[in-house]
Amino acid sequence: MTKAELLYGRRPVQDFADPLSELDLKVSENIALDDVEIFYSLFEVPMARTLQVLPRALHPSVPAVLGTTFWRVRSSPFGAFTISYVGPACRTGIKPRHMVTAAWCDNDAAGAYLSAAYGFNFRYADLHCRETYDRVHGEVVVDGRSILEIITTDCVPLVGAGGTVKYSPTLNLTRLDGRLVFAQFEAGYTFKRVLRGVVQAKIFDPVETGDVELVPNYPISGTYAICDVQLMPARFAADPEIPAEDRGSIKLVR
Amino acid sequence: MKFGLFFELSTPRPFSTENQRMVYENAIEQTVLADELGFASAWCVEHHFLEEYSHSSCPDMFLAALARETQHIRLGFGIGTCVPAMHSPIRWAEKAAFLDMLSNGRVEFGTGRSSTWNELGGFEANVDETKRTWDEFCRVIPKMWTEERFSHQGTYFSMPERCILPKPVQEPHPPLWVAVTAPGTELDAADRGMGAIILSIADVERVTPRIAEYRQRIASCEPVGAFVNNQVAIANWMFCHEDSEYATEKGHELISTFGYMAGQTVEVSEAYPANNYTALGLLGSLRPDPNAPEEGKKPPASGLCFGDPAHLVETIKRWEAAGVDQIIFMLQAREHLPQEQVLSSLRLFAQDVMPHFRDTNSVNVGLSA
Repeated sequence: MTKAELLYGRRPVQDFADPLSELDLKVSENIALDDVEIFYSLFEVPMARTLQVLPRALHPSVPAVLGTTFWRVRSSPFGAFTISYVGPACRTGIKPRHMVTAAWCDNDAAGAYLSAAYGFNFRYADLHCRETYDRVHGEVVVDGRSILEIITTDCVPLVGAGGTVKYSPTLNLTRLDGRLVFAQFEAGYTFKRVLRGVVQAKIFDPVETGDVELVPNYPISGTYAICDVQLMPARFAADPEIPAEDRGSIKLVR
Repeated sequence: MKFGLFFELSTPRPFSTENQRMVYENAIEQTVLADELGFASAWCVEHHFLEEYSHSSCPDMFLAALARETQHIRLGFGIGTCVPAMHSPIRWAEKAAFLDMLSNGRVEFGTGRSSTWNELGGFEANVDETKRTWDEFCRVIPKMWTEERFSHQGTYFSMPERCILPKPVQEPHPPLWVAVTAPGTELDAADRGMGAIILSIADVERVTPRIAEYRQRIASCEPVGAFVNNQVAIANWMFCHEDSEYATEKGHELISTFGYMAGQTVEVSEAYPANNYTALGLLGSLRPDPNAPEEGKKPPASGLCFGDPAHLVETIKRWEAAGVDQIIFMLQAREHLPQEQVLSSLRLFAQDVMPHFRDTNSVNVGLSA
């Protein structure tokens, strides 16, 4: 296969904002987080915009899809914290991933750890993620202004073999030994309860979320899960310019 | 053991008229040759919006073209999607019967429900109901073929009394099949007296117990059609060449190309978690993980038909022993192989492999009670 035949992102790496994080390979322990609430939503987005957002090493999914994620962690070595992140679905070679275009955290210690371990570029925000009697609600508030608000209603439980959600590992632009790379954030999930419902983006600020675009008419799904999570040290990174099929995948060695 | 062809009609970028015509014309040429060589069937998928992976949105039209270019080879819908947002069951009954007429009774009718968000989302289908709509379609379509006038008051489909025309040539009707991607669907086929087209390309050893359970289960089925189609077909790859090493190398290039195309699509299980879509289908089963540690990499499936004729005979004997009635071969992916190599592979297969199975290789694959 030649590159001309394939569908890649078109964003030059120099057009990305300089990452705030530096990957620290000394982070090598697993961290267990119990009863994490994960509110994950998917929306269809325009392919042309997605190609402008993704770098040359990543393929868009077909159709182009954008994910929003909230994690509410009630207990951790860093105390309680909530994170949220946004990004388009993509592929490294053939593997499903999400490239993070914007991320927020409400706990500086947790944010610092996740940035060092996985390359997240968090901004501080007031984050809300909760299930109420008729909906799941997630919101990102920066400097008193809501920039992202997602709700999911009409939830139904998913059970048995269907009661799982496939969370694609995220790719976070960071630095490793001074070099720009996408660090891959992955975790193990043990699901205790999963709901799926009708998702709606009430507020979506395209600038604050990293120049991505959302088609309000075509939401796909919103899921809310309670699960035990194992955070594992990052195993892989991806070169932003070289596709995985051309050896752009980097195995992280500690 | 019988042999067939399986067409995805995958198409390389750029999506030019020339490329698109080349894909369709090459597939027709392959089928014409296969018909002359004694292959039993040619199956064509139905897919929508799957860029590169499959530009086969109108299998009925492709099969109609084959019907007029061939003499004996049977023509399979592999499969017709039984989702109301995409088709009415009336239209499937009409199209299959029309093709049966044009081909003088050579239709195999495969059914299924799609497994990608590309398709189900694109048609704004109700994802949660596809298994139930598939079931209702399977029950009404044979009646549309066999009853002079048909009416139905159902859950997902209703119609007043009408005469659905034409009626098929085959008596009582074309054989019915189900596409099997997720393990367990073969039992849904068996319970309904339908043939199983196992599309997840896997090891012989992993498929064998599933076939045995299918056979056991179909013995006590309640057929949705007028007869029981106790048949197991399995999709496979095939590239036959005197140089086995070369054939294997090219074969793995085909799989890699296929996997790349499949990998870009969005599976239902990735986008819309649902109780009726719990496993990745054909697309997922063919994705090797390029990021996996070396020791964790999946070995190639044991039953792939890449190699010289002797190797293919040995491999197919194993499938035969597993209880497979028919192997349906994928020959191409995005026109990766030159057309002449594909045709040569078919000729070599027919010359040096098929004679080992000639005794059972009749073209009338579906009509076993």
